[in-house]
Amino acid sequence: MINVSKFIYTPGEDESEKASNSYLMSLIAFIVGLPLPIVNLIATLIFYLGNRNGRYFVRWHCTQALLSQLSMLFVNSFGFWWTVSIIFTQETVTNSFVAYIFSALIFNLIEFVATIYTAIQTRKGIHVEWWFYGNLTNLLCKP
Amino acid sequence: MKKLLIQGTVSIVLFFATWLALMQINWVKVFKIQKVTDHTERKLGDLFWKLYHKSEKESNNPFIINSVDSIVTKICDANKIQRQTIKVHVIMKDEINAFALPNGHLIVYSGLILNSANPEELTGVICHEIAHIQLNHVMKKLIKEIGLSTLVSITTGSRGSTASVKKIAEMLSSTAFDRGLEKEADMKAVDYLIKAKINPNPFANFLYKLSDEKGNIPQYLNWMSTHPDSKERASYIVEYCKKNKVTHQIVLSEKTFEKLKEQLNAE
Repeated sequence: MINVSKFIYTPGEDESEKASNSYLMSLIAFIVGLPLPIVNLIATLIFYLGNRNGRYFVRWHCTQALLSQLSMLFVNSFGFWWTVSIIFTQETVTNSFVAYIFSALIFNLIEFVATIYTAIQTRKGIHVEWWFYGNLTNLLCKP
Repeated sequence: MKKLLIQGTVSIVLFFATWLALMQINWVKVFKIQKVTDHTERKLGDLFWKLYHKSEKESNNPFIINSVDSIVTKICDANKIQRQTIKVHVIMKDEINAFALPNGHLIVYSGLILNSANPEELTGVICHEIAHIQLNHVMKKLIKEIGLSTLVSITTGSRGSTASVKKIAEMLSSTAFDRGLEKEADMKAVDYLIKAKINPNPFANFLYKLSDEKGNIPQYLNWMSTHPDSKERASYIVEYCKKNKVTHQIVLSEKTFEKLKEQLNAE
């Protein structure tokens, strides 16, 4: 799921810190804005916009962090609005709803752990590519 | 690019597979969600009914009770509804009203029976209320308006003053379900009538009558306020009936229905 590979150049100390921060940003926003799934995406987007003209290593990791948040936004938003509809409309708690919430939790947890791991590794200057997101980032983010 | 597409597809499939696999577990049973709701409904039903019983006069006349019971039993038998889940109470009140309380309590006002032109009209309204009970509309409405946690706290006594319980009970008897639920109950009522071989057209006529006479007869306002858009509802019931033609049987003989009215007037 997570692939540690050699980056095309050795990133400097400053780059490693910024790249690592892009993941930390989403982590902090994730904790702060847990009930509202859009918060962590906005936080990562702001960080991405601030660094889109930065060096390749920083840009690459900001993009990977943003993309991973974007897909979780769909999963979490659906769960969020489903919960709202149960609270405020005649919708009731069903097996499908509980199963969805657990699935979303599992995927959020995997993403959470992967984010922590990647934040630590990138801080050391190690390049970490995620399953799917790594390839997608390679496609979108060119040197 | 191909690798990317495969990985993306696998990720999506993995998510849905997890969801599907977790769906196989009966979470509602695991977390006792149904049990809590059922228990709350039972307690609420008893609470509300006790309150009504105290403030209103219930008919104990065996003829009246048996006549209304026979209609309910006919509907239940024809539609495979457990008869004991519906608890019918005839309340001596001039208002034209019938409503459902939690836990299958069906309240029929004497005013409704006296103002029904024939037994089929009355049966239509009873079917409509049974449909609300069977489709769990009463609890859905309560959960939406008050919230499950407040309802549970009322039944456990932690937040259940008589005044607040009375207010909620009044809400059930005097406010409407939303349009979607009313339509669903109407359609279900027509299905019940058709299965019981009872003509559904008088039910539509009753709704027309409500919309036409609401200005003239104040008693009509009650069921009207809880069941708005009667004309529109009557129209779609008539349309629905056209598609489902069946032979009709008598639900109560004319003689029995007249005697029922006489007994109600005498009470």
